[in-house]
Amino acid sequence: MVQYSIRLDSSFAALSDATRRGILERLGRGSASISDLAGSFEMTLTGIKKHVRVLEDARLVTTAKVGRVRTCSLGPRRLEDEQAWIAKYQRMLEERYDHLERFLRRTQRQERTDA
Amino acid sequence: MSASLKDATRKATLTTPSDREIRIERVFDAPRDLVWQAFTDPKLVAQWWGRGNKLVVERLEVERGGHWRFVEHAPEGVHGFEGRFREVSPPERLSMTFEWDGFPGYVIIENMDFEELGKDRTRVVNVSQFYSTEERDGMLASGMEGGLNQSYAALDRLLATLV
Repeated sequence: MVQYSIRLDSSFAALSDATRRGILERLGRGSASISDLAGSFEMTLTGIKKHVRVLEDARLVTTAKVGRVRTCSLGPRRLEDEQAWIAKYQRMLEERYDHLERFLRRTQRQERTDA
Repeated sequence: MSASLKDATRKATLTTPSDREIRIERVFDAPRDLVWQAFTDPKLVAQWWGRGNKLVVERLEVERGGHWRFVEHAPEGVHGFEGRFREVSPPERLSMTFEWDGFPGYVIIENMDFEELGKDRTRVVNVSQFYSTEERDGMLASGMEGGLNQSYAALDRLLATLV
């Protein structure tokens, strides 16, 4: 748990800004160019580039320049965190159902005792 | 309860039909109405949802569009979970979004079907969908991210430390 928290904590700085969270959400639906992002978020190219740089430094976003267009995509860090979160979610879900089962058994027993 | 029935009840089926979803099927020795209540009555939810940890049910508006927010007080920290109900059809079906405060903006859709298997038996089928997996797979297939298996191996090691 500790390591996982540290990894996520260091993402939080990059995620502390609403525009940057918006950029990640947008890139979750597919890659986009810097000018696409500037259009979506009604910001200047320079402003968007700064945000993208922060996300890039945190490995949350990767960019690749083809010709004059720089395309942004979700980065490896985001994918690993996502995988870790899915695995953690799955384990939580199973544990939750284990506890539901115990709860229902307790409740049923209680009802039989009361009856 | 006989031992064999107990085993049958405990046996859970967990499959991943695709990378996009996790499916869990469980049979409980309890009437469907009680199972439904266990998911929708705040007093009952608080008794199991936190997996043995203290759980504060901050909101539980069981209606389409209604908010739910639970805060789990685990030994290693406090975790908030929340979402909105997409479908509420008592006592058969619940559908809701699920987000963890620690990974904001990443929405999972949970669909639960409650099937009556007799007076005192209920099957719950839980399918959780991850909306962005398709995009992720598309990126991976395009070869943008190399060394994925190494990443997964690292992830396995990481997860082993989380238990």
